[in-house]
Amino acid sequence: MIRKPVDVGDPDRLYMVTDGRSEADDTFDLVTLIVSECEPTAGMQSEHVRILELCRHPTALVEIAAELKLPITVVRILLGDLHDMGKVSARHPRAAESVAGLPETTLLQEVLDGLRHL
Amino acid sequence: MSVPTRPRQRRSAKGGRSSPVAFPVILLVTAAGAAAAGVFAPEDSRTWVLATAVVAWCCVAVVVGTASYLVRRAHRQAVAQGSELEMSESVWRQQVSERSHLVNTTMPGVAERVKNGAEAEEALSRFPVPSDPHLRQLSQVFATALAESVRRATTAESDRQHLRSELDRGKAELERLAEETLPAAVELLREGSSADTALAKVDWPQSTLLRELAEWVVRELAYSERRSAAAQAASAKALSRVQAKTVSMLADLREMQDRHGEEVFGDLLRLDHSTSQLGLMTDRLALLMGGRSSRVWNKPIVMESILRGAVGRIAAYRRVRLHSSSKAAINGFAAEGVMHLLAELMDNAANFSPPIDEVHVYVEERSAGIVVTIEDSGLKMSDAAMRRAEESVSGKVIDLAALQGTRLGLGVVGRLAVKYGISVNYRPSSRGGTGVVVLLPPQMVAQQREPIVSEPLRGGTSAPNVPAPAAEPPVVRPQSVVPTEGGPAARTDIPSKPAGAATGGLPLRTPGRTMAEAERERRKQAPQTPAERGEPGPARDAGSRFGAFHRGRRSAGGAQGGEDTGHASTDD
Repeated sequence: MIRKPVDVGDPDRLYMVTDGRSEADDTFDLVTLIVSECEPTAGMQSEHVRILELCRHPTALVEIAAELKLPITVVRILLGDLHDMGKVSARHPRAAESVAGLPETTLLQEVLDGLRHL
Repeated sequence: MSVPTRPRQRRSAKGGRSSPVAFPVILLVTAAGAAAAGVFAPEDSRTWVLATAVVAWCCVAVVVGTASYLVRRAHRQAVAQGSELEMSESVWRQQVSERSHLVNTTMPGVAERVKNGAEAEEALSRFPVPSDPHLRQLSQVFATALAESVRRATTAESDRQHLRSELDRGKAELERLAEETLPAAVELLREGSSADTALAKVDWPQSTLLRELAEWVVRELAYSERRSAAAQAASAKALSRVQAKTVSMLADLREMQDRHGEEVFGDLLRLDHSTSQLGLMTDRLALLMGGRSSRVWNKPIVMESILRGAVGRIAAYRRVRLHSSSKAAINGFAAEGVMHLLAELMDNAANFSPPIDEVHVYVEERSAGIVVTIEDSGLKMSDAAMRRAEESVSGKVIDLAALQGTRLGLGVVGRLAVKYGISVNYRPSSRGGTGVVVLLPPQMVAQQREPIVSEPLRGGTSAPNVPAPAAEPPVVRPQSVVPTEGGPAARTDIPSKPAGAATGGLPLRTPGRTMAEAERERRKQAPQTPAERGEPGPARDAGSRFGAFHRGRRSAGGAQGGEDTGHASTDD
């Protein structure tokens, strides 16, 4: 009997990762930058460890979700746990600064056009 | 009889002998009297007297003469009767002696001879024949009847001997049938032989009756064996379909959880949990029916995932507290079995403890293997119940007939324990309930060859630029007690995470996946390695970050997420 490639998946289900919770609070939105405040310690849940490792540099929540390959809601719940324990801190991006720091949209468009013409 | 008359006859005979002397005396006396009367009579009447006297005497003489005659005749008669009596007395004596001879000698003698096998006539001829016809007849009848009964007794005895020997033979055959033949036939049938094969291979009894009986039994047994085998095979087959469906449902659910937003996430998780429980029940039945587990893992599974995978399959998963700092991984071939076994034991523990009490699971690594202890704080099991549970989980009784009602879980535990060499022991728990100690043997613990082990793990479980789970520090659920001794070991482990170097520039294909997939992964992880390695260096480049951001948005915004993305295709 040929086994399907589904068996390369993971045996643990998401409700085990969140311990049955499916609701996250609104502390974090998709672009909230997360920074870890401490190193992972032994005995932590593996997802927490990975988040802490990932967030040595400020990382957006949506990015963490992509890296961990977990749904946004799950990452929010996990981050909520870590935040409550004080192991991570959240930084909401300052829109004005980031917009000012980025090149003009028209310039980007020109670059894109130029690239396409290459 | 004439015996009582004898004295009277004797007396009359004596009286008869005295009469001949008396009669002449009477005649003389009366004559003298008459003469005297004539002499002494007066003259004138003398004549008259004389005449009367003469007449009277004549009368007397006549009477005396008649009497004398009668007496003589009676005497003669008496003499004749006496001789007759003598004769009959002698006959009587002879008969008595013959009778006694018959009773004392002839009959025992004849009986002896007849018993020794002589014929009735022959036996009788050896003895004097009694003169009396009645006695003769009696002895004849006696001899014949005796000979007849002796013949009958002989026949009966021979019949008895014959029957006895037959009975002995039948008994021996029956014993052989019961002790050797039938068990051998049953053994053959259990091994899967057909009824005809079994009948041909075994030495059957000579007796037709026994033979027919044995044949009937064997055919019936073969039929029921066949029926139970067919039922098992059909159930296993049907269950394997259900299992496949469950697995694909779980994969679909996982994909939906990625695709859809928070509004349905809770419902999806509930469905996921129900499907996982369904999977456990289906696997349980399938294993009992001789089928297989629904899943086979082709990579080592870390202990955390094993425990979570096990707990996630039971209804009361929130009551289970995991205390594990083990970073060991269980080899793929045994992972599913271990998960199922632990799930059954946890389910049992959760079911038999109060709904508010927690079930604690501890994991320790020992030289003998990995020890998993499951403790509940429910009621203490009675000795008998514990013995029964021990017996079930020992796997000694793996017959379906030993299953009782809905208590199937422990039977499955027994089978899995035997299959993988896991030892399962019950003991009273220090928390007041019951503890189960599961020892996973070292041969099922994966060797920690990190780069090689981590590569397939990464491909299957996590985003490409994340370190492999096998190299991760031990993980415990937030609620669990953190053992302090695991700390330093875990910290030293963190920097040693592999960074995709194992591929050596060549794509590495994991079993069950296509080469194109592996190639795609390699491409994806290639640009991210510097970012991961260079911890003190600058942040990752904008491209990778943008890519990750984009992927994250895709998976988050389920509405527009219909198109296939790179990681969605590797998801399941």
